[in-house]
Amino acid sequence: MIEHLKKCAQAVLEGDDRQAEKLARLTLDKDYPLLEVIDKGFVKGIREVGRLWEEGTLFLPELVMGAEAMKKAMAILQPALESGGHEQTKAGLVVIGTIEGDIHDIGKTLVATMLSANGFGILDLGADVPVQRFVDEAEGKKADCIAISALLTTTMPGQKKVIEELDRRSLRDRIKVIVGGAPCDEKWALDIGADGYAGDAVAAVALAGRVIGG
Amino acid sequence: MEPVILDKFSVKIAANEVIRYLENGKRASSGQIKRFQGVLDLSLDRAGVLVRPRGIYVIAPGKSLPGSSLFRELERMAFCVCTIGPALEKEVKRLMDRDQLLEAVILDAAGSVAAEAVASHIDGIFKEQAAAEGLKTSCRASPGYGDWDVGEQKSLFALLPAGRIGVELSPSCMMIPRKSISFAVHIDRNPVRLRSENSCENCDLDICPFRITDR
Repeated sequence: MIEHLKKCAQAVLEGDDRQAEKLARLTLDKDYPLLEVIDKGFVKGIREVGRLWEEGTLFLPELVMGAEAMKKAMAILQPALESGGHEQTKAGLVVIGTIEGDIHDIGKTLVATMLSANGFGILDLGADVPVQRFVDEAEGKKADCIAISALLTTTMPGQKKVIEELDRRSLRDRIKVIVGGAPCDEKWALDIGADGYAGDAVAAVALAGRVIGG
Repeated sequence: MEPVILDKFSVKIAANEVIRYLENGKRASSGQIKRFQGVLDLSLDRAGVLVRPRGIYVIAPGKSLPGSSLFRELERMAFCVCTIGPALEKEVKRLMDRDQLLEAVILDAAGSVAAEAVASHIDGIFKEQAAAEGLKTSCRASPGYGDWDVGEQKSLFALLPAGRIGVELSPSCMMIPRKSISFAVHIDRNPVRLRSENSCENCDLDICPFRITDR
């Protein structure tokens, strides 16, 4: 079992999606304890990927491959987890998108992928998302957090409008807001009353965990 | 003042530049690069097919930029909008939709390098033309950098009919296709240093991971 856990972590660390899928299937075939394999195997691997990224040891393709391997393993384990009545601790539901007027997509998609690989539920609204839709979806799906990307100084004010709309609907206490994108920084997040700013996908995982965790 | 359209040229997408876009503060080792060599090569091949370089420019006095006073004192400027076209970003979107994020990320980086190469190619033409007259050019300045407000994209697009090369401006001043670059250079015996210059050689941030250097 210990060897199996090590292999699961290693598959994610190496971004080996085929091996991760194979090990996920083996977990089911051998009836290994699901929560333990996820937590001490795959999750351990993706956390190490995040740590090595922050350290500057990994470069972007390796980060992406690690996240993809994690997602593929979880796609196999998740249905078994649910049908078996297991309760995996969800990190929280995040509604994510690029604000209206802005069609930059790839950075936001990377953040969504890393959040998903780290156990967050994700509702990715895509790019050019109107303020009302962010709030409607977050309210309707009872999301814990809204993550808003803006790549232009001209579209950044939309992030503030989302917070204002949450305020208007008295949802601000319940739904956290995190922001990102090239022109954003900590000061901007503070100025508009967001709960935080993340400079990259790994930082976004840590930030989302912090703000949702309270 | 008649705009000139350039559409019969090609650009080289340098693999080392694509890698630079994917790095994370440190240089990727040869072992790391080797792991992705196959996807990188495929992306460069794909980009070679998908990139369609085009540019439109006008040589005009600085004061001819409508509604802008930024360059009004400068006698001779080149104003340009250029693009790699929409095909590459459509392919990136298709790859993302199919959950092929690795391929999407690398192709997107190749597109960024290609757009920069298109702008450099046209900038090179301005340099050659200036040199033929014993003049020089400043480094490129772009709306959204330094003191040139991104809102002045509207001025640039009022001066240049960029729709003729397939580039439109959104209400939020974003160029569509996204892999497009707008810029201006000053042409003079002693060109000024534009505060909105976006060139690495004029930037003091030596440790910037995006700095263009010889590898």
